[in-house]
Amino acid sequence: MGRYIIRRMLINIPVIWLIITLVFFATSVLPGDFVAQRIAAANPLGGQDQAAQIAQVKKDLGINQPLPQRYVNYLWHTVRGDLGTSYRTRRPAINDFKAGLPYTLQLSIMALIVGLSISLPVGIISAIKQDTATDYGLRFFAILGVAAPSFWVATLMLLLVVRYQWWTIDLIGQPLLWQSPLASLKLYSIPALAGGIASGAAVMRLLRSQMLEVLRQDYIRTAWSKGLRQRVIIVRHALKNAMIPVLTIIGLTIASLISGNVVFEYLFGIPGIGSRILTAITARDVPVVQAFVLIIATFVVMVNLAVDVLYGWLDPRIQYS
Amino acid sequence: MAQQQAVIEQPTAPAYRSRSDRPTPVRWALAFLSFFKDKPLGGFGALLIILMISVAFLAPVIQRYDPNQIFETPNPAFDPAIAARAEVDPNVKLLYPAEKYTRGGIIGPEAPSAAHWFGTDKYGRDLYSQVVHGAQLSMLVGIGSALIAVISGLFFGMISAYFGGWIDMLIQRATDALLAFPALILLLLFVQVVKQPNKYYITLALGIVGISQVVRIVRSSVLTARQEQYVLAGQVIGASDTRIMIRHILPNIMAPTIVIFTISIGAYILAEASLSFIGLGDPVAISWGKMLNQGRTLVTKPWLSVIPGAAIMLAVLGFNLAGDALRDVLDPRLRGRGGNAGF
Repeated sequence: MGRYIIRRMLINIPVIWLIITLVFFATSVLPGDFVAQRIAAANPLGGQDQAAQIAQVKKDLGINQPLPQRYVNYLWHTVRGDLGTSYRTRRPAINDFKAGLPYTLQLSIMALIVGLSISLPVGIISAIKQDTATDYGLRFFAILGVAAPSFWVATLMLLLVVRYQWWTIDLIGQPLLWQSPLASLKLYSIPALAGGIASGAAVMRLLRSQMLEVLRQDYIRTAWSKGLRQRVIIVRHALKNAMIPVLTIIGLTIASLISGNVVFEYLFGIPGIGSRILTAITARDVPVVQAFVLIIATFVVMVNLAVDVLYGWLDPRIQYS
Repeated sequence: MAQQQAVIEQPTAPAYRSRSDRPTPVRWALAFLSFFKDKPLGGFGALLIILMISVAFLAPVIQRYDPNQIFETPNPAFDPAIAARAEVDPNVKLLYPAEKYTRGGIIGPEAPSAAHWFGTDKYGRDLYSQVVHGAQLSMLVGIGSALIAVISGLFFGMISAYFGGWIDMLIQRATDALLAFPALILLLLFVQVVKQPNKYYITLALGIVGISQVVRIVRSSVLTARQEQYVLAGQVIGASDTRIMIRHILPNIMAPTIVIFTISIGAYILAEASLSFIGLGDPVAISWGKMLNQGRTLVTKPWLSVIPGAAIMLAVLGFNLAGDALRDVLDPRLRGRGGNAGF
């Protein structure tokens, strides 16, 4: 098991290298680089010495070398754990990530809780009551939940709350849960609910079909004939096996939640990971983009590994080799 | 001679003996009808798709106004007598320029009415005509991206699984890298690479981001198909690799390919709407996501948010329902996979 995890991590190194290389060259071909933007903003009339100014600033930022050399430098710094310095703030790019993390983390965890607490019971009930009115109703809402754009659902909820003044939303202060619990809940409940419905609907649909498959297995019939209670059969025998493929989807959901619900953060002005990377991309703050990408990619790879390890715990038939 | 002909022609007149005797269009029509009967939800999805595609094609015909026309209020101060005098007398025209008399302000957001079925947006444009034209962009981007992703995914997935070895290794690591990266952020980066992202470029970017998902599914299907006897037989009689891949393997992996194609269109439509919603879409195209973003702040004009969002939902719903039903019919093993194309 330990060797399996180590081998998987080693395989992931070239994957991460590919990602940061792709992003390095993608950011290097972005039109209108940061320096030109800065100089043009500082000196809108233009001047004869603009070229000299640009060269000077580029030298200060350490980007006056040719691209291949910059790439080698970048890899060298990354390997040593130096994720670069933001062009805008002249502070380590990682600081920007740290500043955004609490917001994104709170939103993601809330959305995940909403998603799982809807999808797990609903998926199980829908499977047990297969082809009844309850099942059809729940499946209908799940299909709608997958198809409805989550930012639309959030917009409509926001519209209702503001229109009928159910509560006030502090879009400017952006309070976190441990700063001002009530105000924070008022702000985050809408994106968490909308995001949770969207991811929960997908999980529910898969869980239902998996439960139906498992409930037809021989060992479930054996469990019934042994006279076990329904709760024990559903939770211990069926759910555990039905969850195996569902875990993949949950893993994907977690990965995409942390990387930032860009759209929700945009809609609610949340200064999380997603809106920070969006700002960095539009401002051409290349080191920040690269640092974010590296951290997010590493995280996603780790989540995938964790899911695979969990597989083996849930299903001992799966052998790691 | 004449007698002989009559004998030959006779068997074609009565009912067909089996399904395969019927001409191809009839067979297809029958298959289509039985799809509706067996899978009512899938049939409903197919109807939604047909509706959306026809709306997209017929947009210039079924629009009620030019979607970019800005409606203005009639000016209460308008006086035809002064306007007529201004036409002939330059002094009057100087005092009362024609615009001051004929043009009022833009009508702004108005509730749905007989004149404007879905109301008007905050710039005074007819929302119905805008929604109808929005279908064009969604269908173009959705179907276009899915085509790009499926065709390139088929290519890379097939050579990856068929040849194996270092080619497989290389393509698999590249796929892993694309999958390990949040699609929307990759898309943001790709879209920014060009100065003015137009709808064709966005289609291309979405298609590229979606390739990895298709490669995975195609690869696993080809790995199964490659074990079959008919591939071995083809190799034994000396068929070339290209021939075996195109004539023997490709037809056998069409089922999962068609399913992933249909389902992923919905995901691409959603992704395009998200991009437009956060203001990174095609700046000139009429897009449902952009309409939703423009309307969302007008709290007292809910139709501006409800209608464009509902249009997105119906389009995505159509492709999802049809894709689900196709999957049940064509390839039940795919259940629960690839439904979101990574977004």
